[in-house]
Amino acid sequence: MIGAADRANRTAIGFALPLALLALWQALGTTSQSARMPIPTHVAAAAFELVRSGDLPLAIAQSLSRVFVGFAVAALIGIPLGLAMGAFRSFERNIDPLIESFRPIAAIAILPLAILWLGTGTSAAVTIVAYAAFFPIVINTVAGAKGVNPTLLRAATTMGISRLRVIRTVIVPAALPAIGVGLRIGMGVAWTAIVAAELAVGAKAGGGGSGGIGQMMFVFYAYSVELNRIIVCMIAVGLVALALDRLIRFVLRVSMPWTSK
Amino acid sequence: MKSAIETEAMQQRANDKPAQHAHAPTEPAKLCLAHVGKRFGTGATPTIAVDDFTLDIAQGEFLVIVGPSGCGKTTVLNILAGLDRPSEGSVALDGCEITRPGPARGVMFQDYALFPWQTVRGNIGFGLRHGTPGDGLSDEARAQRVRDCIDLVGLNGAEDKYPHQLSGGMRQRVALARLLANEPEVLLMDEPLAALDAQTRLILQDELLRIWGQDRPQASRRTVVFITHAIDEAVFLADRVAVMTTRPGRLKALIDVALPRPRNDATRASAQFQALCQDIWGLIRDEAYRATVTSTSEEGGSKR
Repeated sequence: MIGAADRANRTAIGFALPLALLALWQALGTTSQSARMPIPTHVAAAAFELVRSGDLPLAIAQSLSRVFVGFAVAALIGIPLGLAMGAFRSFERNIDPLIESFRPIAAIAILPLAILWLGTGTSAAVTIVAYAAFFPIVINTVAGAKGVNPTLLRAATTMGISRLRVIRTVIVPAALPAIGVGLRIGMGVAWTAIVAAELAVGAKAGGGGSGGIGQMMFVFYAYSVELNRIIVCMIAVGLVALALDRLIRFVLRVSMPWTSK
Repeated sequence: MKSAIETEAMQQRANDKPAQHAHAPTEPAKLCLAHVGKRFGTGATPTIAVDDFTLDIAQGEFLVIVGPSGCGKTTVLNILAGLDRPSEGSVALDGCEITRPGPARGVMFQDYALFPWQTVRGNIGFGLRHGTPGDGLSDEARAQRVRDCIDLVGLNGAEDKYPHQLSGGMRQRVALARLLANEPEVLLMDEPLAALDAQTRLILQDELLRIWGQDRPQASRRTVVFITHAIDEAVFLADRVAVMTTRPGRLKALIDVALPRPRNDATRASAQFQALCQDIWGLIRDEAYRATVTSTSEEGGSKR
């Protein structure tokens, strides 16, 4: 079949550039004299070792558990707040300036306060994740609730559905796709924030083991200086982000069958 | 006969416009529009969408409002629905002033207004489940009514599909079934067939008359106010055609359509049908022409 051959061809082309870059990296690495040059084969060996020992899976699990808690907190606050803001304009006018004034403050910038108030443990990291994920979730929820096709609202009122009930029966389901977008973006920034938070929390803890992938990277950077392992962690961070995004897209697609064509 | 009803109703209203004929009043009108005006915007030059619109609609009547784009047809319908309030005049159902939307006046919107997250069944039963039309009904009674409506519009087999999986004609059937499921006393339809292709349109015109019950006596039919810009559609469906003019939207003429019911393809081929279409076209041709060469108002601008 031409289609299958075409697809195989395209796949081959898609892999060609990354493979070439990998080969180039390997060549440069082996010829380099620098001790700070990681080499793909060494990185692979380090990855194998970190997975076999269980250190890497454990660190990822610790980070993920924090991300899920922080993400859940952000969603539980952000979605109801966003819906209320979208449904009641006067409420939005009061809350929106507050949200907009905090939004430019990056999650990592609240770290000093979080550590001073909450210590260097899990609660500080979770707080930072929740803070980071909150903004995309609330902003997209507001947009979704405000963007409901007005004809749908009018249609509901002509069926004798009360204004309060319209929120649950029309505004919420109509806003779900936008909320889904907010959750997807929120999950992405939550994962980014946890790595950053753990890196920084680790610094204060002196490597004292609050755990997680960011903490692990910090130890490899500041104490044992193992470049290949740092690269393994970076790759793991990327792969987990990809997996999280796929997971959340899958959940959204299954839970909203009307959005798939 | 229609003109008799009309003039009687006109006479019933105690307004400053004297009735032209003297007939003994029989029954009051179902829907009363008295000197209805609607202005949009404020300041020195508000847009007058509707001006001094007076019309009585009898129980069981199929009234079609026809007019060029931007003539305020939709505004009149929205006022009847209670979605808009008139700037002047009053509008009443069975003598009670209409101030807000209510399930007694069901609306079928031009763009279907189906809930995309609901299946066909969920859309049709939406008002029964969440609104007042379902009050006092058991779950089984609601489900039965939804099934009946699905049968009525011929959507069997599509019950579990979502709107985006349906053709335009099928979506319009869902919208019609949803309207009927709530059993409103008055059906308000805003260009419901405008987005359909010509053939689907003819079929749905026939279906609409069948579902409305054109072979039943008038007393047992529902009152319909139907908006269209298609003159042949207006003549085919209507008991009376209200012709509107543009800017400000005014009632230009009321035309009795004395074509016998049930109407069918033979009706469309009849000389009387053609003559009525020509008459109405003669009334709005100049305005329709002007609408094509000048920028349209907010209503006309939203039409495809």
